[in-house]
Amino acid sequence: MGKRAATNVLAGAEGTGMTREAEALPHAPKLELVKSSKREKILEGMLEEVGAKGYDATSVRTVLDRTGLYRQAFYDHFDDKDGCYLAAFDAGVARAEALVAAAAASRQDWRERLRAGLGALLDHFDSEPDVGRALVVEVHAAGPRALAKRAETMKKTVDFIDLARLESEQGEAPPKIAAEGVVAGIHAVIHSRLSTGATDGFRTLLPEFMYFAVLPYFGAEMASAEMAAAHERAGLDS
Amino acid sequence: MDSLSARLPQTYEARSQRGRLREAMVRVAAAKGYEATTVEDVIEFAGVSRETFEAEFDGKEECFLEAYETVFDILITHVTSGFEAAAGDPWPERVVALLRALVEMLSVEAEIARMAMVEVTAAGEDARERYRAMLGRFTPFLEEGRGYSGQGDDLPADTARFAIGGATSMIFDEIRAGRGPELKRILPDLVFAVLMPYLGPEAAEDEMRRVAREG
Repeated sequence: MGKRAATNVLAGAEGTGMTREAEALPHAPKLELVKSSKREKILEGMLEEVGAKGYDATSVRTVLDRTGLYRQAFYDHFDDKDGCYLAAFDAGVARAEALVAAAAASRQDWRERLRAGLGALLDHFDSEPDVGRALVVEVHAAGPRALAKRAETMKKTVDFIDLARLESEQGEAPPKIAAEGVVAGIHAVIHSRLSTGATDGFRTLLPEFMYFAVLPYFGAEMASAEMAAAHERAGLDS
Repeated sequence: MDSLSARLPQTYEARSQRGRLREAMVRVAAAKGYEATTVEDVIEFAGVSRETFEAEFDGKEECFLEAYETVFDILITHVTSGFEAAAGDPWPERVVALLRALVEMLSVEAEIARMAMVEVTAAGEDARERYRAMLGRFTPFLEEGRGYSGQGDDLPADTARFAIGGATSMIFDEIRAGRGPELKRILPDLVFAVLMPYLGPEAAEDEMRRVAREG
């Protein structure tokens, strides 16, 4: 890649690679669906607590201890732990989606949008691994309604990935199942890292994730080129 | 094919209290879900006393973990034999044989499939860790595919995990939707998901179509 192109990529990459400062960025919204700051605090506390301790070990009490709020504040907003987690899941997903959308917004084609959006998501996991665990790993312990929400989120992601179909060569588009395989496969790698606690450097996974996502739609050559370019950019970033 | 319960160790161990409790756990957790399962349910199903349960296991989780390992051992033995029975065939065909053996077994024993592939993800950190380790046992079968890939050593390090993750997620969704008994229907999809990262989309799609034709 030429120096000029690399500089452009970096210039365009603002918003990724810096979500540790996401709080301060105007495009990084606070938890959504929030009507009061206490409610927001509880939702955040719920995600952090579930991510740190696991869903089973989390109780209304431990969430309150973490947030420093009184019981009444909890029951003003939620019926019970399950209901609170479901709301926290929605808020956490909305936040992640907003980060991804903001990073991808200025990008034109599918690959650029994916690269920016996925990069922002991985940065988010790097800066808030407990929240990542609460959304990706512990959702499995939170019952059928939580699993239904998870399935919805996966479906939306699959639909985005499959937009690549519109840009692949005529007649070269893979079978419909390809997008599901991409999303589930990438999800499995993230899930595994989050649950082993090997949470350093999700960002370093971007090149291989780009390889996996580009491969079914554009073939091995372009997937390899995309992976190499992502490695190169990572080198420039560091 | 023999049912999975016929394969659970039949020697003195299966007749032992511990073995009965283990099998009861498999049945109950598959039917009710791990969360809703109680020790009471398990001892009732097994027809043993609470004292007996407590003499054998520290609690529900320990019993579940042991039951889970027993089930997965049987599964992996069966699947391995599918792969090995196809020895001499090209790697993609051996992978197809492996996946075929997997869906056959999981569809015959849909309840057990539910326990081994779905409930395990709800059963806490130890269970998940074991689940990961168990899925990792499929890795050697897949890594041979590096030799078939044009990319060779340039393939990403997580390729096997990606491939296995794609396939297990599809199986997970089917079982959760109550379609475990018809799991064979998604065999072509599984073939595509597992072969694609190694062979690329075109060769994977060819295999997928071949499997769909042959049924």
